[in-house]
Amino acid sequence: MEERLYDLIFICLPTTPEEEIAKIIATLEQVIADRGGKVEKIDKWGTRKLAYRVAKQREGYYVYMSVRGAQPDLIKELERRLKVSDAVIKYMTVRLDEEIKRQQKLVGRRERRARQRPRKTAAGPASPGPAPTPGPATEPAAAAS
Amino acid sequence: MADEHTQAPRPSHSGPPREGRFGGGAGGGGPRRGKRQYFRKKKVCRFCVDKVDFIDYKKADMLQSFVQDRGKIMPRRMTGTCSKHQRWLGVAIKRARNIALLPFATEL
Repeated sequence: MEERLYDLIFICLPTTPEEEIAKIIATLEQVIADRGGKVEKIDKWGTRKLAYRVAKQREGYYVYMSVRGAQPDLIKELERRLKVSDAVIKYMTVRLDEEIKRQQKLVGRRERRARQRPRKTAAGPASPGPAPTPGPATEPAAAAS
Repeated sequence: MADEHTQAPRPSHSGPPREGRFGGGAGGGGPRRGKRQYFRKKKVCRFCVDKVDFIDYKKADMLQSFVQDRGKIMPRRMTGTCSKHQRWLGVAIKRARNIALLPFATEL
């Protein structure tokens, strides 16, 4: 199975001590590593206001992780861990690789079109195409032929 | 993703244009001919202008500008978003709601 990319966000109680959160993250990392996954990014957003009440709380400590993994039960296990731990009040996993694939396709199409009829921008003589989108848009041409 | 979205002012959805559309019941399409005509600027999809290919559900403050006071997603006729981006926007807003970045409905 090819690799998949997931976004994993969870919210802890705002009263959770920092070590506790570090511990949760460490266990998750362990799980991911065990199953041959990879953590692309971890971002602690810190305490934010919740848009609605969750577990009688109005605030929550957000942690964002970007996970790459190929095993089907990876997410299942991660979600189980999150569900079990008391400090976590809410979590969400989103699979993103297909959307990113679509995005790359669009970027590729736009670039190709730009190459076909170069705009009258005096700036770029034989330019490699205006690539305004950073992100993971590197090899798009293969997808949309 | 593209650069940060500037926090554009929320497109106003005040009374007059709506009255112009629904009032009288005489409209069969086309500009209403009457004493008062509303010259509305042609709205352009903000995402198309910025060439956005992926609407990130994590940018809550950007999504906030496409949500009404009570938490509803704003219709296209108010924001001018194109149908493709409106579709993605809807997905993004719903994801943001799921993780409490945006409200389902504001409580009073």
